[in-house]
Amino acid sequence: MATQKITIEPVTRIEGHAKITINLNEAGRVDHAYLHINEFRGFEKFCEGRMVFEMPYITPRICGICPVSHHLASAKAGDAVLGVTPPRPASLLRELLHMGQIVQSHGMHFFELGGPDLLLGFDADPAIRNVVGLIQANPELTLKAVTLRKWGQEIIHIVSGRRIHPTFAVPGGVNKALCKEDRDLILSGLDTNIQTIKTGIDIFRSWAVTNKADIDKFAVFPTGYMGLVTPDNGLELYNGNIRMVDSSGKQLECFPAKDYLTYISEHVENWSYLKFPYYKKMGYPAGVYRVGPLGRLNTAEKIDTPLADEEYKRYRSMYGGKPIENTLHYHYARLIETLFAAERVHMLLDDPDILSTDILNTHQNPQPEGVGVIEAPRGTLIHHYWANENGQITKLNLIVSTGHNNWAMCNAVDSVAKTYITGPEITEGQLNRVEAAVRAHDPCLSCSTHAIGQMPMVVDVMDAKGNLIKEIRRNA
Amino acid sequence: MLNITIDGKQIEIAEGTTVLIAARAAGIEIPTLCDHPQLTPYGGCRLCLVEVDGMRTLQPSCTLPVMDNMVVRTDTEKTRDARKFILNMLFSERNHFCPYCQVSGGDCELQNAAYHEGMTHWLLQPNWKPYPVDASHPYLILEHNRCILCRRCVRACGELVGNFTLGFEDRGANSTLVADLGIPLGESSCIGCGTCVQVCPTGALIERWSAYQGRETEVEHHKTICVGCSLGCGIDVLTRDNRLTRIEGDWDAPVNSGVICEVGRFHPMGEDRERILTPLVRKNGSLKAATWDEALTIVAEQFKGKKGKASGFISTRLPIEALDIFHQIFKGLGANVTSLEEGMATKSSSQLAEEIKSPYEARMDSLTKADCVFVLGEDITKDHQVISFFVKRIIPNGCKVITLDSAANGLDNFAAISLKAKEGTETEVVNTLTTALKTDKADLSDISKLACINTDMLKTAIQILKSSKKIMVICGQTKVKKGSSGLLKAAYGMAKQIGAALIDVKGGANSLAASQYHLDEPINVEGTEFCFLALGDERPSQQLIKKFEKVTFLVVQSSYVSPLTANAQVVLPVQTWLEQEGTYLNSEGRLQKATSALQSADGVRSSLDVLTGLAEKSGIKINTNWKTRLTERVSPVTIE
Amino acid sequence: MTKPKVSSDWLAGCAGCHMSLLDIDERIVKLVELVDLRSTPITDLKHPDEGGVDVGILEGGINNTTNEEVAKMMRKRCKILVSLGDCAVFGGVPAMRNFFTIEESLRRAYVEAESNEPNSKIPTDPELCKPTLVRAVHEVVPVDVFVPGCPPDADIIFYVLSELAQGRIPDLKKDKLMWN
Repeated sequence: MATQKITIEPVTRIEGHAKITINLNEAGRVDHAYLHINEFRGFEKFCEGRMVFEMPYITPRICGICPVSHHLASAKAGDAVLGVTPPRPASLLRELLHMGQIVQSHGMHFFELGGPDLLLGFDADPAIRNVVGLIQANPELTLKAVTLRKWGQEIIHIVSGRRIHPTFAVPGGVNKALCKEDRDLILSGLDTNIQTIKTGIDIFRSWAVTNKADIDKFAVFPTGYMGLVTPDNGLELYNGNIRMVDSSGKQLECFPAKDYLTYISEHVENWSYLKFPYYKKMGYPAGVYRVGPLGRLNTAEKIDTPLADEEYKRYRSMYGGKPIENTLHYHYARLIETLFAAERVHMLLDDPDILSTDILNTHQNPQPEGVGVIEAPRGTLIHHYWANENGQITKLNLIVSTGHNNWAMCNAVDSVAKTYITGPEITEGQLNRVEAAVRAHDPCLSCSTHAIGQMPMVVDVMDAKGNLIKEIRRNA
Repeated sequence: MLNITIDGKQIEIAEGTTVLIAARAAGIEIPTLCDHPQLTPYGGCRLCLVEVDGMRTLQPSCTLPVMDNMVVRTDTEKTRDARKFILNMLFSERNHFCPYCQVSGGDCELQNAAYHEGMTHWLLQPNWKPYPVDASHPYLILEHNRCILCRRCVRACGELVGNFTLGFEDRGANSTLVADLGIPLGESSCIGCGTCVQVCPTGALIERWSAYQGRETEVEHHKTICVGCSLGCGIDVLTRDNRLTRIEGDWDAPVNSGVICEVGRFHPMGEDRERILTPLVRKNGSLKAATWDEALTIVAEQFKGKKGKASGFISTRLPIEALDIFHQIFKGLGANVTSLEEGMATKSSSQLAEEIKSPYEARMDSLTKADCVFVLGEDITKDHQVISFFVKRIIPNGCKVITLDSAANGLDNFAAISLKAKEGTETEVVNTLTTALKTDKADLSDISKLACINTDMLKTAIQILKSSKKIMVICGQTKVKKGSSGLLKAAYGMAKQIGAALIDVKGGANSLAASQYHLDEPINVEGTEFCFLALGDERPSQQLIKKFEKVTFLVVQSSYVSPLTANAQVVLPVQTWLEQEGTYLNSEGRLQKATSALQSADGVRSSLDVLTGLAEKSGIKINTNWKTRLTERVSPVTIE
Repeated sequence: MTKPKVSSDWLAGCAGCHMSLLDIDERIVKLVELVDLRSTPITDLKHPDEGGVDVGILEGGINNTTNEEVAKMMRKRCKILVSLGDCAVFGGVPAMRNFFTIEESLRRAYVEAESNEPNSKIPTDPELCKPTLVRAVHEVVPVDVFVPGCPPDADIIFYVLSELAQGRIPDLKKDKLMWN
């Protein structure tokens, strides 16, 4: 039999545009699978010349699911470049905004994007294997999921004035204080939504029991891990230093964001617009690391909120305390983080400074460059700006969350393809599993390529000479 | 009066009125962009096009004068189509990115015009030629991509401020707003008043400090009085969550009609001194927090029995009510009682008023008809900038400006003649000019030698003064510290001689009021054992700080930490000018009420409350009839 | 009466408009009663039905060759085509790339960026699409309904979909018209 190439285009239930090509060898087994990220917009070029204080309003347009991440990372980079430290109440409000975002983004991903594969099954009919199918199969659960996302979005709305692309953070602080009524309003949704998150965790855990075999062979491989941590290595999503650990969990580095260039380098492949970040000292690809929920929970050693920490301990004990390598456990880790974020919301709302109107410092001490970092839902987000003495951006470098996971996603695609595509017949469910390998990472591909891209889904089976043997279309 | 019909409504309107204004009188708002009520009509944007019976093409209503029996239609299919087309062309000409613009979402007149026409998209896309962002200026950003070439800023810079920095170069699609002859704004003759930003309809001109601080719908407005100088311009203070976001000129204010300078608009935005939030009392060598009761009791105790050895000083940034109570407490009890200005900007004018026993100054509006302005004794472009705007902006009407100064003066570039006199000789120069104007036969060689001014220059100045019909003399006193006293008297003499109006600019916000209370002596703390310094939010100069270094018991009533508070025995925290309310007497004699725009923190009190509390603790009877006491002394201006 | 079929896709956008659509929260239950959601980026159907759908929604402008193909296919298969959001309607923030050459933008990201390995090159694999000038959707295919906003409010999107579901062209004005 001749060699063949399968193309999956587009990958759905992810943010952004991706294409998967799978090369089969003569025996019909998978030789190699590639994840092509087919987007490029060019924020790193066209923001040149804009004012530093405009960046928190331009960069959120990189992504409509996590605009708050860019808004805040940009504001922090702006703080650094303009040499101004926000007053404590402003930092608390920014973090509150961020926690709202974690809740809505993670919540949406589990129940509405990645979830349908788990809740309805990988092999379910594609016509219903989505949020609409969920509404029909389990309206009560779907409503809870919608309410969870709504609560997160409403936190963003209440704190900043808008759900998507808010005008809120400025260098030196924020422009809107929180009043008591709004604080109480947010608090009123806490208990119900913590319940929903716990329900999600229960659903996953029972699914995990039934599907243990799959979990243990579905894209399981060692990598390094990276994320922000508190001074004593607790999970941190807003402040802190960047920590990198190796595949056994041992610390490789712990550094402030401004030093990221010393430790992180990016590799370019000819077949993807998404670059491949890696730990410089170990080279590429030995130095690749994963970020996002799985990465962060392997990098941290504890969680400083009680409910999340309890679940975290259970999670980390699954494989004898070693870092969790199973791609499908991204979903589990994601839910634990959602719990943490909800508990953080409570802590922030209880802080006496959260209602303060001391929310802006104006005394600036401009620097030639500055770096801002935050843990976006999908991973470590770095904004690095260089500015002239007029406060205009002369150049910028962005390393966006999902980008750090590029190698891992490619490897996951390759691994899942090789594990599940074994025979001459290729089923839709098998292809869906390959997509699910990408989906588990909750990639934000518009973000990570700060880019463009789009792909429809067609599977072309071609021989080595490029002749079309078979075409599988998914309701296309 | 003419009769016209607009949209079926018949109205009577004065000849010379434009159709736009006539429509407004009839309650009809015609959409505009380049038009502005404070600026001369331009007719550039063409958004205000209307149908006029008998006229073949649509007419711009902002520049079209009404004609008798005119029939106008403002809202027809033709005018709506025209407006949509014009807006489409405007959007296609440059690069308008609404998503992240600072004025997007309600504060952009261009966007609002598009909404008004129901535009959901552009019929013409831009060709994406990039335009520059000029960020060279410390206060302003000039974003050329958003400019709609309406020239409001050019007109404002010329007509309202008289600086003429902004202009246009090139033509057609290449027309570009430029500063001076096309140099970065930060290197140009721009004086940073920000009037251009206030009139810009889009986000083309942006203030750095107030960017993204809040839209119209998110801020509160507080109309009050600027305390930057004696002019007392009316301002609109915008706040959000009890935080200052922006200061604008109040278009309705009688003193300035909306124009303000950088001192009023931008200096307060850069305020970053540390606030004092609780009374402090020195115990065992260091300042410790105390209650108001404790602090005031200590002060009153110290003050008792120090008659003749106590001194009191007050800032002219404080309202009259505070000045008055201060005066009631300290008059007769203090050895040295005066304002921090030490009368330097008002002593001469007050003494002159007492001498001639009546007010003698004119009001600023005399300037509008002046054909010659003689400015001496101060560089008004520094500390009384808006007065310099009033002078500069009438120059295009044919008004000639003469300056008399011993150093470079900000008006030199605008003056017809700049007389540079040797320091200390200004009074003689003025007197000589007066004589020359009187007799026609003055010998100028002596004064020329003394003052080092070319006789030809002096002759030209005399010539100008002689041939002018309505002359205004604007005099200041701050440049005469070095001993050329009598300058004001000389100016008065000249004004009287030639029938000119005279204005003395005076000093700080309540400069004149302080003088009315005789708080215009020099500071001399020698021999005083107790000193009360009502500093308010004033920033003390090094000289001032030095003066109080050796005082044994210093009480400072102040908003901010400074070397003075660091050395004090008692510190009493007070409101800043934005937090307090009170009355101010401007240099023309207008009594204006300032209202509070921000709420002060709990431990902070108003200066008035502190002084009232001090009086109570000291057993001094006071009353609040400040108006009577204010007008006891003859004033150089009519106070009302 | 069968429910109208609705398809959507995203091009050179940020997904914010689709997120704003999800911001209708519980009204999604009402929505799926009114319309039959076919291919969207968040469902697993990849293209609008070959037999055609009633309403097609496009978020994002056009900035590469693949976007052009998708826009043309959507126009072909959808009776009514909606441009959703400022990127689709005007070009939006991604259109700022038009101030530079495509070469400059690619070079900055793949060659010059400070975190890149030395000697990195711009990707050229034929599997990847080619970037083009950034355009609004209606510069490439005719559009029937424009819904500006960045993103448009969830209420506006729900209004637009309800109107289209009931066979009417939505009329956006006053508080339903926003470009920011």
